[in-house]
Amino acid sequence: MKRAMGACLPLIPLCVLVLAWESSTRLGWVASNLLPAPSAVLVRLAQLLPQAEFLFHVQQTLIRLLGGFAIALVFGVTLGLLASRVAGGVLETVIRVLAPVPKIAFYPAFVLIFGYDHASKIALVVADAIFPILLATFHGARTVEPKLVWSARAAGTGRIATLYRVVLPATLPAILTGCRISLLIACVTVFLAEMISSTDGLGHLLSLAARSFQMVDMFVPLVLISSIGLLLNITLQYTRKHLLRGQS
Amino acid sequence: MTASTHQYQVFGRLGPLLVVLALLAMWEVTARHLQLDGFPTAAEALRQLPVILSDGQALAGIGDSLRRMACAFVLALLVAVPVGLCMGRSDALARLLNPLLSVIYPIPKAALMPMVMLWFGIGDLSKVLVIFLGVSLPLLFHSYYGARNMDVKLLWCAAAMGMGAPVRLFKVVLPAALPDVLLGCRVGLSMALIVMISSEMIARQSGAGDLLFNAMDMALYPDVYAMILILAALGYGLDGLFERLRRRLTHWADVRQDSHAGASS
Repeated sequence: MKRAMGACLPLIPLCVLVLAWESSTRLGWVASNLLPAPSAVLVRLAQLLPQAEFLFHVQQTLIRLLGGFAIALVFGVTLGLLASRVAGGVLETVIRVLAPVPKIAFYPAFVLIFGYDHASKIALVVADAIFPILLATFHGARTVEPKLVWSARAAGTGRIATLYRVVLPATLPAILTGCRISLLIACVTVFLAEMISSTDGLGHLLSLAARSFQMVDMFVPLVLISSIGLLLNITLQYTRKHLLRGQS
Repeated sequence: MTASTHQYQVFGRLGPLLVVLALLAMWEVTARHLQLDGFPTAAEALRQLPVILSDGQALAGIGDSLRRMACAFVLALLVAVPVGLCMGRSDALARLLNPLLSVIYPIPKAALMPMVMLWFGIGDLSKVLVIFLGVSLPLLFHSYYGARNMDVKLLWCAAAMGMGAPVRLFKVVLPAALPDVLLGCRVGLSMALIVMISSEMIARQSGAGDLLFNAMDMALYPDVYAMILILAALGYGLDGLFERLRRRLTHWADVRQDSHAGASS
């Protein structure tokens, strides 16, 4: 009982905010064409969700989001693990140059090179999402207890095998932390890319609604992408618990 | 181990320059090999750099962007840092605000641009507001974290010597949390640049992001890449400058793992 109370307590400020928002539009303090009531947004979302066309846009966004994240994950972890053993200084310098650069500025270049379809958006997601994973893996792998590596090597495990049998599991907590940041970045990036130039996807839906001043339709994709971000984050936390169940 | 650290230090000085040169060389080779219309060589883009940098209109656009970014950043400093510090020292406030902030966190801030423009017009106010929103969250979180993890004994001492609560916040909590606050500033700074560029790309009114897409619409591809280079240099330069300032202000503190790459709008 007490635990349930504790879980509900953080929701109170949120509920108060949503109620205040709802009542201020209901009571006419704010024009509903400028700020739609949260209930109106949710009703519209419920109307749109069964529609095939809307689902197609959601699917396009998810393909880019998850595709980009998966590529960033594979490359980030591989590069980070390798660089923790050889040429770490080079990678660190490359990161130092590229990390503070606003990747969104490269988007026009990606569009010119990869075209307007999936590839340019995925490229931008990869460019943005790879850095947290890469950094986390690199720093995590460098601080792995050396005795573990020595023992594995002494027991006859090869260099490469040591990397993915010993270093990778030991780096897993750090990698998962990097993933958490990257996933959020990927969500935001894919949405912005679709808003800037696209013909489909959730971001495009927002731009489309903005052109015809449909406030409710503008909020729907925004609420949806934020919920996708939250959901993915929660999924990741459960995965983390499952993967790290042996560790404290 | 010592050999490799020494080697790294030598590389650390010249390293960034070498990396930039290597990247440019890679670009040049790839572009020559691919021969795409939309992918000019590095040399062609570099040739457009002085043209853009001597063009008054382009400079004014970039200047406008930077001015709005600076306004938003200062505003965020004035609002988010005190709120974050208070949250760190007051459990009630933290419990009240934390759920709200964690819901706001995953919203793409630059995506709010169309709404904010309908509410506050197409002037500077909307643009500053959107950047402000993007910068505030990392600043707030880092300030909160810094104030929460400070040495409480310092506060007790100050209180015992008769210092009032508001004064304590600025004379004790702020300096104690400064390393974290400045780390937040660094994340916030790169965030400000990202939100600035993306909101200008979305709204297409004025500024650096708009210049970029204008050049693209007119098929001036070398100009597009030159603008990208300018923005990239801006990001790197601002970050480098701030990092120097940060080291100078908090050279006394322990080195913190920078979560710098965690920045995004």
